[in-house]
Amino acid sequence: MDSIPTFNAEHLQSNMKTVYYSRTFLSIIGGVIAGIMGFTSLTGFIFYFLIMAITSVGLLAKAGFTVHSYFDSWNRVLLDGFLGGLMLCCCCDASAWGLEIDLIFLYQFL
Amino acid sequence: MALGFAVGVFGVLILFHAAYSTIQYRGLLKITEEEFSGPPMNVVAELLLGLVFCIWAALTVPGKFLSIQPYSEENRIVSLPANSDFMIFNHRGKVFPLEMDVKLKH
Repeated sequence: MDSIPTFNAEHLQSNMKTVYYSRTFLSIIGGVIAGIMGFTSLTGFIFYFLIMAITSVGLLAKAGFTVHSYFDSWNRVLLDGFLGGLMLCCCCDASAWGLEIDLIFLYQFL
Repeated sequence: MALGFAVGVFGVLILFHAAYSTIQYRGLLKITEEEFSGPPMNVVAELLLGLVFCIWAALTVPGKFLSIQPYSEENRIVSLPANSDFMIFNHRGKVFPLEMDVKLKH
C-alpha cells in the first residue's frame, strides 16, 4: 500500500502565514503607489498584477526554488492571498487618492 | 529582523515623501491650470526606490520558511528529555551496532 505523504502541518501553516503577510503588505504598498502615480482602472489592475508577480518571484527565491520542501503545492505559494490583496490594493488606492484630494483642499485653505 | 523592519519603515517614509511631493506638484498644476498626467521623474524614481525597499522588507521580515518534510535534518523527532532521572541505559540495546552520524535535536 502506498504511503500518503505526510507533512509537518505546523510548519506548513507558519509558511502560509509568512506568505500571507508578505502579500498583504505588498498589496497595500502597491495600492498606495498606484494612487500616487494616478493609475486609473485598467492600468491600476495591470500594475497590481505586476506587483503580485514580483512578489511571487521573490517568495520563490526566498524558498530557494525548492517549493516541495516548504509547501505542498505550487498554487499555495503562487496564488494564495492574490484576490484578498486585490481588495486591499483598491482600498489603499482609493484612500491615497482621497488623502491627496483632502490635503490639496486643506492646503488651499491654509 | 530588526534591520528588515527598519528598511521597511524607511521605504514607507520614502513613499510618504513622494506622496507629499506629488501633492505639491498637483497644487502647482492647479495654479497653472494644466492637467495631471503623472508625477515628475524624480518622484517616480523615489517611488521605485521605496518599492524596492518595501519588497525587500516584505520578504525578510515575516520570518524564514520552515521545512515541512518529516525526514529533513531540522525536523528530527528524537530529542533527549530534559529530565533524565528516569532514563536507564542498562538494556539490550547495547547489542545494536553504533550509529555514529546520528545528530541530536536541540
